[in-house]
Amino acid sequence: MGRLGKSDVIDKLNANDSQSSENINRNIGNSIIVNEAIFKKVFQHSSDIMYREITIHSQTKLLLIYVDGMVNTDIIISNILEPLMYKGLPQGLGAVESVFEMFEQERFSVLQTKKVSNIDDISEHILKGNLAILVDGENIALLADVKKIETRSISDSAIEPVLRGSRESFTENLRTNTTMLRRILATPNLKIDSLKIGKLTKTDVAVVYIEGIVKPSVLNDVKKRLKQIQTNAILESGIIEQYIEEDQFSPFPQILNSERPDVVAAGLLEGRVAIITNGTPFALIVPMTFWSGLQAPDDYHQRFLFVAMIRWVRYIFTALSVFLPSIFIALTNFHPEMVPPDLMLNIAALRERAPFPTVIEVLLMEFMFEGLQEAGLRLPKQIGPLVSIVGALVIGEAAVSAGIISAPVVIVVATGGIAAFIIPRYSFSFPLRMLRFPLIILSGTLGIFGIAIGISTILIHLLNLQSFGTPYLSPVAPLNKRGLKDVLIRWPKKLVKNSKGDQV
Amino acid sequence: MRHTAKICFLSLLPLFITTGCWNLKEPDQLAFVAGNGLDLTKNGKLEASTLLVIPAGIGGGQINGGEKKESYQVMNATGKNVSDALDNIQSKLSRVVFAGHRDIFLVGQSLAEHGMGNTIDTFMRSSQSDMRAMIYLVKNGQPKDVFSSAPFFEPFITTTLSEEQEAIGLKPYLAREFVADVWSDATQPLLPVVSLNPSTHYSYNGSAILNKDDGVKLVGFLDKEETSYARWLTNRLISFTLTAFVSKGNGNISLSLDNLGRRIKVLQVGETIQIDVHLTGGGTIIENSTKLDSSKRKDLLLIQKEISLQTEKSTQKLVKKVQEAYKMDIFGFGESVHQQYPLQWKTLKHNWTKTFPTVAVSVSVDIRINDSGLTHSSLNKP
Repeated sequence: MGRLGKSDVIDKLNANDSQSSENINRNIGNSIIVNEAIFKKVFQHSSDIMYREITIHSQTKLLLIYVDGMVNTDIIISNILEPLMYKGLPQGLGAVESVFEMFEQERFSVLQTKKVSNIDDISEHILKGNLAILVDGENIALLADVKKIETRSISDSAIEPVLRGSRESFTENLRTNTTMLRRILATPNLKIDSLKIGKLTKTDVAVVYIEGIVKPSVLNDVKKRLKQIQTNAILESGIIEQYIEEDQFSPFPQILNSERPDVVAAGLLEGRVAIITNGTPFALIVPMTFWSGLQAPDDYHQRFLFVAMIRWVRYIFTALSVFLPSIFIALTNFHPEMVPPDLMLNIAALRERAPFPTVIEVLLMEFMFEGLQEAGLRLPKQIGPLVSIVGALVIGEAAVSAGIISAPVVIVVATGGIAAFIIPRYSFSFPLRMLRFPLIILSGTLGIFGIAIGISTILIHLLNLQSFGTPYLSPVAPLNKRGLKDVLIRWPKKLVKNSKGDQV
Repeated sequence: MRHTAKICFLSLLPLFITTGCWNLKEPDQLAFVAGNGLDLTKNGKLEASTLLVIPAGIGGGQINGGEKKESYQVMNATGKNVSDALDNIQSKLSRVVFAGHRDIFLVGQSLAEHGMGNTIDTFMRSSQSDMRAMIYLVKNGQPKDVFSSAPFFEPFITTTLSEEQEAIGLKPYLAREFVADVWSDATQPLLPVVSLNPSTHYSYNGSAILNKDDGVKLVGFLDKEETSYARWLTNRLISFTLTAFVSKGNGNISLSLDNLGRRIKVLQVGETIQIDVHLTGGGTIIENSTKLDSSKRKDLLLIQKEISLQTEKSTQKLVKKVQEAYKMDIFGFGESVHQQYPLQWKTLKHNWTKTFPTVAVSVSVDIRINDSGLTHSSLNKP
């Protein structure tokens, strides 16, 4: 092939552009100039890709390619460049083969090396923070793992706080996250399968499970669904969730997400499968049931009597958060005889000057409440408290004293709203908040009968819903007495035995 | 298939929302009724009266600024029958009358004397009627006057009336019990009575005996003490303060009784029926003006015996009075016969009204003093 000028090579490449882009499985050539040109073409307009040419004994040329900022330059200098440039090869550098021998023998003191010749593979590795070393006269590149990516350190869980239990939460880095799981579950049975999803992002996704405990059908189902994802980008585990969940139109989430390693570990121990995605601290846990949406991470860490009580408080508040506004409407507007007389008269007294019908009042207040929540969420932290002050003043106080909204409605909406905050899994409160609105309209048109229709519809939907083959309402429907103990009162740990007779 | 189902649902949805069953009534479209009364006017016309709650008058905090309104309004109207009278009341009101929270139902004396079976039926049948409402008979007055009397504690008189019975230790006599009595084979209703004082305030005043076999007509009255004994006999008494003269100690003793009980034993000797009533009660001495020392067992037993005996006498007197003067089985003895001699009852029940006055009733009372009521020895040294 002989030596070609750089410009010639680029011209040639441009001429072959259409052809070469079709041919994805291209390999690099022998000439380092050609190879350099190839990569410069691949990484066009990318100022963060560094090319470092090294001449040793004015003979052999090496080319290092890496992404600036993603590699540990200390390691490159001390472990790769130094042996090559200063110490030289033991007997002076003879032929090219010697360098390659060094590669063969893997004399570089880095942890992971790999030999690859495919251009796409090489460029992908470069982009993931590896160092590519190309040698003149060799059609193979050595990839050394010298990754050093700046990540957030492990911190407290922001959205799943606990009173008792581990404080750490996942970070954006997949490896850090799997490490945390390994630390909790020190068993070789903890399996971490990885795959890449997304044509452009090539996001690392790990399927984590414990062999021997996991249900094989669930595992296979997860893997199958993950492989079927056809998309350019996976930016967050939520995108994966949307691809693999069963019913996109259901208001209920069918996959649990958590940023806590202990929650994921607990899930794995129950035979679930976790899906950890690089770039997000939120891991997915499948299958999910209705009840797991109402369980807090430290339910199992506190003493059982208290947890049993708190669970029931949670169940009752969950029901309140969905049904309270609609029940209020149905009772006051359709069935006033069902309200205790004194209470009814009080409500009537407070409604004397209310300008809107109760249904409209409730809808208005619910709408405002949702708006307040969203505003509080999106605002910069510095002006966050402002929203609550303005919201509480305007909606709670002023609206009532101005006679625009009657006071009982404010109480009902606020109670329902607070009730939704008690739900430990934040994503699980969305369906409850959403379902309020159709129920309000139903009860505003049909009274208690309307609520009955609404409840029946929700129940039928929940009974039909499945998450990776597990009925959503299990163990309540279908009934499983052993599981029921955990749902109703969280039976003491010592007295719970799993199917194999071991203490869980 | 799914698609058509969806279309059907979506097309039916507006039907629900736009038409719905709009029996929706905001609380401010309703006139809440706290009490209803029925009576006859002097010229024999049926008059209905209604105590309406005015929500704006009963608080509501900062909402109602300005002048303080009355918390209630009494509306009266006459009519051909109950519905007509109520309709005439409605025609004077801008809000729909809502009787679901009615606490009290009053019957005037003149209506009761005339027989209230026909008229009261309308109230009891109404779907809005709360069977936990209470029924009173108004003696020497009209329901509307009771409604108009100013209450002390509550914003309107009906709440006061509904708490009255429990406060004086009677088991509240509810509408459903009245209905049950009227429908029973034997028992005659015993309605609580209120009457108006000259100071236009009501007072509880014993009870009225009605004859359900004759259009629920008023037969006679029992005074407060008699009512308590009668209620004890029917097991509708919760607590009771009994004062008796103890001759051996030459003074009065008051007992606060609770744990009241009653046992009825029916004996059939040949054709005649004999009823043995055994009354029990436990009590605390609350006042002792006798020379007896209740802390001594001997004296205590004496007091116990004396009081039991006296109660026995008064109860027996009451039973005799009812049997002879009113001839109405307000004690529910017929029910006991029914329970203990179900076969014989089948023939007896047709004639029970006539049999009752001739039945031999014996009453035995067993009062136990559980607490001598002493915190220290008496200041009144013998």
